[in-house]
Amino acid sequence: MLEGLVSPESLSLSYADMSVPERLKWLQQHQQQEVLSQSNNDSPELLQILQFYGSNNDELLQSTFSHFQMLGANYNMGFGPSHEAMDGCISRTGSCQIDPADTMGVMLKNSEENRAISFKTKRKSEVKTREQEKTEKKIKVEAETESNMKGKSNMSNKEASSDTLKETSKGASEIQKLDYIHVRARRGQATDRHSLAERARREKISKKMKYLQDLVPGCNQVTGKAGTLDEIINYVQSLQRQVEFLSMKLAVLNPELDLSVEDLSVKQFQAYSSNLPVIVASKPLIMVDVPLFPLDQQGSLDLSVINLNQTTTIEAVRFYHSENFSDYSKFLLLVWEVTCLLYLFASAIYKLGNSVT
Amino acid sequence: MQPTSLMKEEFLKKWQMGLQIYRPLIDNTSVSERRKAIKLSADVAMASLRRGTTCWSRALIQKTATENNFLVRQMLSGIKAETLINKKLPKVMCHRKIVRRSKKNFMRRKSRSVSEEVAAKARKLIKRKTQGLRNVVPGGEFMNNDVLLIQETLDYIVSLQTQVNVMRSIVDAAEAGIERTACYLEKLKFTIED
Repeated sequence: MLEGLVSPESLSLSYADMSVPERLKWLQQHQQQEVLSQSNNDSPELLQILQFYGSNNDELLQSTFSHFQMLGANYNMGFGPSHEAMDGCISRTGSCQIDPADTMGVMLKNSEENRAISFKTKRKSEVKTREQEKTEKKIKVEAETESNMKGKSNMSNKEASSDTLKETSKGASEIQKLDYIHVRARRGQATDRHSLAERARREKISKKMKYLQDLVPGCNQVTGKAGTLDEIINYVQSLQRQVEFLSMKLAVLNPELDLSVEDLSVKQFQAYSSNLPVIVASKPLIMVDVPLFPLDQQGSLDLSVINLNQTTTIEAVRFYHSENFSDYSKFLLLVWEVTCLLYLFASAIYKLGNSVT
Repeated sequence: MQPTSLMKEEFLKKWQMGLQIYRPLIDNTSVSERRKAIKLSADVAMASLRRGTTCWSRALIQKTATENNFLVRQMLSGIKAETLINKKLPKVMCHRKIVRRSKKNFMRRKSRSVSEEVAAKARKLIKRKTQGLRNVVPGGEFMNNDVLLIQETLDYIVSLQTQVNVMRSIVDAAEAGIERTACYLEKLKFTIED
């Protein structure tokens, strides 16, 4: 159907078609700066186009194409960076014929029009170029956000058409309108408002899950929602356990509970500059990074160092639950005890040293 | 979003403040008391960083306020302390057994096909996991919205990461200091003996 149109007016058609992707480019450039303006002079063409789709009439298509050609003639004056685009478009004349139809396809969102769209999208999928994809995606995304904002009341078909009529072109006002529709319905998918809203919600959720996947280490290998949720739960639990572990450690190491600022600035600088746990020779394994942290068990030591001057007792080593009580954790415990003993020893020696001198 | 150094600094300041408030209460007490104090002040500091904008921070503050009202009030002085503490979180009561039974009856009436069953099982699995996530994140029971839940987990994970980073660096610095003094003293001891 469309190829038949090429031969009689091939040159002029290509001209008109060239303006369309250029228009799309223009839209890309101007999308941030626009002011939504009324466009009353659009309506006759749009009505024509809508009628065309309503009837699937060939004559109407021809007339609209001629219209576009006229518009294209008017607009070529105004295009600045048009030359390369035009060159690029010229090379695509074979495919360009589909473009206006595509942009028209963007405009409609009727269930019966879905079939027309699906027809066009089939064709289009063969020849789609990147710019077009970009603009369409941008339009679609913007349209989706708009549609989310505007609520569900705009989703009915009649209202959609009236919206497109009233609504603004996102582009320089010189360019003639292709009002874009909010959501492009894909082939075989329902277009009633519930499923649209659900689809928008699902896409929001999947976007957020992607952020989570970036944040949680090791989440990229697992696919599917359930696996990533599992990893997230494990990660949060391990972080919480680490906080407890570290607070316990701090309580042991720092009996005065002072994190005094002057002291800290020096230590902080040292600690931050390395950005990794400080490797101390005798106890390398206490500083475990998150992925190495044993997820299946939670070892918590309950030491009570009663008084440094008197005999110190290391009372109990208790575990909250130890399903897989591996050698690794035993080793960790041992090292922990060693460090505590070392601390006590050092303080004792210090006092001894003081008493001697 | 990774924890930034600005966040770390703020957290550290608030945590120090909290610990200073706590110190007169806990001098010369046992290790477990001290650990509790540290953890508590760290949690409250972390939650107050968000200034009540996120659900989990409010829930966390409420949880700690039930135990140690005094400290929390002091720490949050100036940042809508009263509103945060007295705010009641919405209660969602659901009797799980009744809901489960009614769901079973409903499912029995429906006619199923294989693909539907598979999809239903997948959905159930995902529901279980989200329930598990709700149990882990503080205040999760009050987030019925999935989108909200994921947003909150994101925020919570970032805050936890800052907390862990700061604590770890302090612990490392303290340990490094101790280790150095221990080595030094060892050398001293040997020189004394000689």
